[in-house]
Amino acid sequence: MSANSTTAAARPAAIPDARPAGSREVRQTASLVAGAVALGGVLQVFIEPGPRALVVGAAAAGAFVFVLSQVAPGRWRETLSSFRFTATLLIALSLCAVLGTLVLQNRPMAFYEREYGPAGSLVVAMRLDDIFHSLWFAGLIALFFAAVLNSALLRWPVRVRTAGFFTCHLGLLTSLVGAGASAAWAVRGRVDLHAGGETARHVAVTRNGVPTGEMVPLGFDLRLDRFDLVRYTPEFRIGYYDLTGPEARLKASFDPEPGVKHLLPGGDSFRIQKLYPDARSRVVAVPGPNGPPAQHVVLAGEERWLFPGDRFDGPGGVAVVFGEGLPAAPPAQTAILVSATERRVVVRRSDGERTFDLREGLDLAEGLVRFGPAIPSAQRRGELASASDQMRNPAAVLEVTVDGEPRETGVMLAARQDHVRTRSGALVFERREDEVKAYVSQVTTSRDGARQQARIAVNDPLSVGGWTFYQVNYDPKDPSYSGLEAVRDPGVPWVFLGFGLITAGVAYMFYVETRLKRAKAQA
Amino acid sequence: MFYILAEHPWFVATSAAYAAAMGLYAAAWRSTREIVGRIATGLMAAAIALNASLIVGRWIQADRAPFKSLFESLVFFSFTMGVVYLAMEKLYRTRVFGALAAMGSFLGLAYAVAKWDAEIVKLPPALQSGWFVPHVVVYFIGYGAAFFATVVAAVQLLAGHVPWVRRMLTLRAGTMLSGRALDLEQITYDAVKFGFTMLTVGLLVGSVWAKSAWGDYWVWDPKENWSLVTWLVYGAYLHLRRVKGWRGDRAAWLALAGFGVVMFTYLGMEMLPTAKASAHVYTSQ
Ligand code: HEM
Repeated sequence: MSANSTTAAARPAAIPDARPAGSREVRQTASLVAGAVALGGVLQVFIEPGPRALVVGAAAAGAFVFVLSQVAPGRWRETLSSFRFTATLLIALSLCAVLGTLVLQNRPMAFYEREYGPAGSLVVAMRLDDIFHSLWFAGLIALFFAAVLNSALLRWPVRVRTAGFFTCHLGLLTSLVGAGASAAWAVRGRVDLHAGGETARHVAVTRNGVPTGEMVPLGFDLRLDRFDLVRYTPEFRIGYYDLTGPEARLKASFDPEPGVKHLLPGGDSFRIQKLYPDARSRVVAVPGPNGPPAQHVVLAGEERWLFPGDRFDGPGGVAVVFGEGLPAAPPAQTAILVSATERRVVVRRSDGERTFDLREGLDLAEGLVRFGPAIPSAQRRGELASASDQMRNPAAVLEVTVDGEPRETGVMLAARQDHVRTRSGALVFERREDEVKAYVSQVTTSRDGARQQARIAVNDPLSVGGWTFYQVNYDPKDPSYSGLEAVRDPGVPWVFLGFGLITAGVAYMFYVETRLKRAKAQA
Repeated sequence: MFYILAEHPWFVATSAAYAAAMGLYAAAWRSTREIVGRIATGLMAAAIALNASLIVGRWIQADRAPFKSLFESLVFFSFTMGVVYLAMEKLYRTRVFGALAAMGSFLGLAYAVAKWDAEIVKLPPALQSGWFVPHVVVYFIGYGAAFFATVVAAVQLLAGHVPWVRRMLTLRAGTMLSGRALDLEQITYDAVKFGFTMLTVGLLVGSVWAKSAWGDYWVWDPKENWSLVTWLVYGAYLHLRRVKGWRGDRAAWLALAGFGVVMFTYLGMEMLPTAKASAHVYTSQ
């Protein structure tokens, strides 16, 4: 078949004999779909459409249509199992699904009145606020049910070459039955607990996320032993914000990696010249005229320049005090008194004291204190340094090139969100919010004295005693609070079984049946 | 935009390879010299390999599957469009659709530049699931097949009305390798069948995942609804094929409509009045 003849098939002239049967099918299809919607729409005015009414109504209507199609004259049965009808129904159902995304579902009446004005009450009366639980939608589902059943019966019995069709369409029915069971019998609700032993025995039932006030017993005790809120490790970024709009907008973001040149929107650029992952400003001593003396000391691994009067505390009650003459002893367990002019060190403890000559390299208290160089006449100077290579308190010096002119920024501290302007934006050194990585409840269930410990996390629910518990909530302000959702839903296995059958059936129809048919044709 | 491209040479190379493949595939419509078509295929394969390296690189850099943001998914969509096309080229032994397919992947990447992530976002707990990767991969392969079906359907429609497109489909063109005329309608149908199977699996996996993450397999969320609509529309296409009068142009239009719904489901959710209430609308920066 060439491309030309393919397109020619669309011309109505090619199917002259299809007209009469076709038009009856069109008529009957239209009346079935319109009838189901209209009937459902009228009935729901009189019947309070709870989930059970819905399921019972759909099942009864499905059975009724099915039986009627078998006995009524006028080839209804053929229409109901025709491809035209099926396609129409599928499109009708998809229109419902679309409508459900245009009108916000399951809001209080006031919402619709605000949103749609006088038409708001009409929206609610027609159940457009809860389309998928309306009786007119149930009418369509009933047709669907009857149609699938009918088309299957017409093709009965199952053969190897039609097994895919039967499997797929049986799957459709199974899922539908499962969904019906869910709608009618599923119970869901909240269990809110605090870590440290708070115990739940009931579920606070909700409908569309809103508590109904009803409490359903669990049938066992659920105790929250522990709750862990795990966050991602903090991240520091150089963010580029566009400032041309009404609001600053993050346009690009860079790893704080020294040396790499980055281009910015608009042609400017920058690079990190120096990075202090764990910035501390500290005072250093440099030689200078007519200054006080200064002494370099390392205490428990931390180094410092001491000037007269300075006191340097370390672990285990050790304190180093520096003076021109011998300073007075502070109330410390071990006082190490250093005199610059006498060049001597006195170590005073409750059990007595010892004196040492002050010299570079002197070690005291098993290496806890170590003396470095001394400067007889010193000046103070502030200096930035990194206390470690951990990103605890990062600071950076950038070289920013704006309009081709490079210039160096001062020290930018992430903790202060320091920023520097470029032509049309700003670079900000900043810490990202520590996002939540996981939240996990450690629980104990006990039933008739039998205890069991378990873990509930997002995507890792716990099933016990017919209930399944999902981790759904936490409270950043209350770290011991854990919000669980409890669900008891008898429809689930059926829905998934149905889905599995649909998938298997579709794959079989497309990739096995076609082969079988081709093989037969060749034979 | 230049600042992005300057910092991401592999991305530029991938886009350039798709663009070059597009040019050569188009050239092969006229040139019957085999080498032109072969180079086109080679470039397409190279572009796909580069595209794969972008995905793998991002995967390593982000330390998670790179399917979280719209940007990341666009890069992946470009890849699946390319892969599905190349498989179809082999299957049907024709390069007729190469230029349009390469254009699809190229446009995917171009749009990705517009939606570039300012920074890599972390995976929230709900997405940390074994279902995440299969769900997305299956869906985007399905989308890739839907795209291919659309390309073929578009060519079919054009061939009916534009003489040079019709000529392109004759055996004298360098893009025809099988020695037989193409049955465009059948190719569209095959691609829809494959895409539909993927969408079915994707829907199934999605609902199993939703159940394990939120406790409900279906919540009538806008994105869920629209993927159902996609599935139903293609379902209607499959059933309508057997109704008299629904082959040819009409079927092709239906295939186009199906892809329109796919694209709306993928990119249009933000336009919906209900989007704010949705749990899975892609948020651009
Ligand atoms: C109103 C309900 C439905 C009816 C009455 C119906 C009926 C049929 C029939 C009679 C066939 C042809 C089987 C054969 O080869 O003899 C068929 C095929 C098929 N049905 Fe359905 N169906 C319905 C709903 C669905 C739905 C909801 C889907 C999934 C979206 C679906 C998917 C399929 C597929 C994929 C095929 C194969 C089409 C092909 O081979 O091109 N059906 N259906």
